Amino acid sequence: MRVVIMGCGRVGAGLAEQLTHEGHEVTILDTNAFAFQRLLPEFSGKRLVGSGTDDRTLIDAGIEQADCFIALASGDNRNILASEKAKEVYGVKTVVTRVRDPLRSELFARLGLKTFSPTKFGINLAHEALVTAAGGQ
Amino acid sequence: MYIIVVGGGIVGYGLAIELQQVADTEVTIVELSASRATQLRDELGEMVVHGDGSEIAFLEKVGARRADMVIAVTADDGANLVACQVAKHWFGVARTVARVNDPRNEALFLKLGITSTVSAAGAVMAQIETSLPQHTLVPLMALQSAGLKVVDMRVQDGAAVAGHSLRDLKFPTGVLIAVVVGPNGARVPDGDTVLAPGDELIAVIPHEAEQQVRAMVTVGDGM
Repeated sequence: MRVVIMGCGRVGAGLAEQLTHEGHEVTILDTNAFAFQRLLPEFSGKRLVGSGTDDRTLIDAGIEQADCFIALASGDNRNILASEKAKEVYGVKTVVTRVRDPLRSELFARLGLKTFSPTKFGINLAHEALVTAAGGQ
Repeated sequence: MYIIVVGGGIVGYGLAIELQQVADTEVTIVELSASRATQLRDELGEMVVHGDGSEIAFLEKVGARRADMVIAVTADDGANLVACQVAKHWFGVARTVARVNDPRNEALFLKLGITSTVSAAGAVMAQIETSLPQHTLVPLMALQSAGLKVVDMRVQDGAAVAGHSLRDLKFPTGVLIAVVVGPNGARVPDGDTVLAPGDELIAVIPHEAEQQVRAMVTVGDGM
């Protein structure tokens, strides 16, 4: 698959490496070149400085030929805008969006984006850990 | 009428000043930056609140559920898109207006169901386009829900419509020529009105008829 990843944070960088290992063609974007330090030197994918909400960057990243787009930048709104663009303007078949705010994540899932909210998982994990540690008090 | 304005920058501030003058209108300005919110509050008072206009829980607090309109005019297109979508789809706000900072986002916003968009580039273009030599058809206003737009067109020399009366012209269905501006000023046309090169037309046209109408008032490809 040809995958464009928006955001080279820990999740973006880790995902990029995993996907290239699996033989996928990866382009990773970040507005800050410094973020690419998180990638291992042997990372074989393409690094591109720019915003995933910017059409020029998306086109440079090969969005028109991409099979998948995943938005993992730090801002929910930017991730949503870029994802809607990938889906509606560039016709990318698989678009996945990280939305930290669980309510916004739910809303945009309802509106047709494939969203996930790590916050929600975090809350569940924290809750489970707490209840387990408290031993049913 | 209750209006929530998201973004207290230059545009939001100007809008607040204008809306304050409108009778029976309650306005809340939502500003993300605490210092800017304080500054605006000094001048505009209670109507300014500090918060994130794309945050559902916060919008609930400022009464988004009873808002008639949400206008998102921040400098961040993502925030404007999300504020409008949250307003429309979470709170059922009937009318949403978004500022688009990057003109390339305009079509996307409209496709996603935002009632109307405003772009500085678009507004300036509309002002100057009529004086550009290749000026043919300038959109003045979108009537989004009806799928119509109000446009300004100039009949070019040698255009298909020049020298013909409106009765004889076969404009696409739904096209309404509302005003014809000629050398003697503006008039409301009737079937006998003959269009002359140089006439300016204010028309209401369906979105899908734009290319066809453009071709009729211009020569060649009209570009």
